[in-house]
Amino acid sequence: MLARALEAEGIATTSISMVREHTEKVKPPRALFVPFPFGHALGRAEDPALQHRVLRAALDLLTEPAGPVLRDFPDDAALDTEPPAPTQASAIKSVAAVGGDAMSEARSMIGQHEQWLARSGGRTALGPSGVTREALPGLVPFLKSFADGQTVDAAERPADVPQAGFIRYLADDLKTLYWEGYLGTKPQAGGDEIARWFWGETALGQLLRRVRDRLDAAGDPASKAAAFGVAR
Amino acid sequence: MPRLDRLPEANRANLLNLPMQVNESSPYTPLPRPLAACRLAIVTTAGLHRRGDRPFGPGEQGYRIIPGDLASIEIIQSHTSLGFDRAPIMRDVNISFPVDRLRELVARGELGAVAPNHYSFMGAQRDLAGIQTTTGPEVGRRLREEGVQAALITPT
Repeated sequence: MLARALEAEGIATTSISMVREHTEKVKPPRALFVPFPFGHALGRAEDPALQHRVLRAALDLLTEPAGPVLRDFPDDAALDTEPPAPTQASAIKSVAAVGGDAMSEARSMIGQHEQWLARSGGRTALGPSGVTREALPGLVPFLKSFADGQTVDAAERPADVPQAGFIRYLADDLKTLYWEGYLGTKPQAGGDEIARWFWGETALGQLLRRVRDRLDAAGDPASKAAAFGVAR
Repeated sequence: MPRLDRLPEANRANLLNLPMQVNESSPYTPLPRPLAACRLAIVTTAGLHRRGDRPFGPGEQGYRIIPGDLASIEIIQSHTSLGFDRAPIMRDVNISFPVDRLRELVARGELGAVAPNHYSFMGAQRDLAGIQTTTGPEVGRRLREEGVQAALITPT
């Protein structure tokens, strides 16, 4: 659909498709169907050779004489180690008696995150909330009070970002802190393994479940959307 | 989805007889010259942008501009869906936004140039009317004005 809008303006397009049935109906001019899970459009992270093969296959479609063209990237490249979509919080049992203080737990993740930054050459996904990494643990009490049903606000919330949205971005940045902290010590870990650890074994995972519940209970569309983006 | 030729005959017949929504003929722009002489942009629905840009909000049909020479370390994701694995893009932005790979193709002489700007939308939305009628064509016009001949469209 995006392809159609661009083609109408005179741009030749080639698309990577991850849902074959959808592509078959919509019929973009040129599409490469890949057998990878969501989040793995070009195949595998830090695998330039595979990424180049996928890219080459997609770009080769640009020289097809007419469309629509839907080509399959070979099935044998499929990643058997990762599920088609990540396991969500609701499907992960939390370890009994995950007690513990989410704020000091978050603080301790900063040290592991430093290891991540050393590995990744400074690359991090932190940013959407606008809160610095060092300040993130300090916002855990705000999330706790919110989850407990109190009427609270955070000084760090930008004036033009409503509370539900800010809570969602905060959850994203805290998850990134934990996810990247995990990758700092286990750089090849897949998202499913990290999700199971996060939702099953951390105090912050338990807290975010409660935050999600309060957002969902609020009922207004913005809060429900935020809830859906914090945990499922 | 199972391949049709591996299904029992009755299932196969049912699937083949389903009424399908068929698109009217869609515009098809041929590549005007060999790829090695073309400028290419990435247009992604992965909800990416420069760190510091306004994050995507739920249902947003706008786009963000990502300068073609921006270091991949400056690109973050604020996609509002949880339905995909985020670990790969934390490790390597090229998994959804293969900008370093494009630069390598240019260095090898297989691609003319990386476009001055790339564009990102956010996918996984129900109602795409805004992208269809307004922001999608707007990005198309910008690409044309920036002398771009081709676009690689990537999902999340």
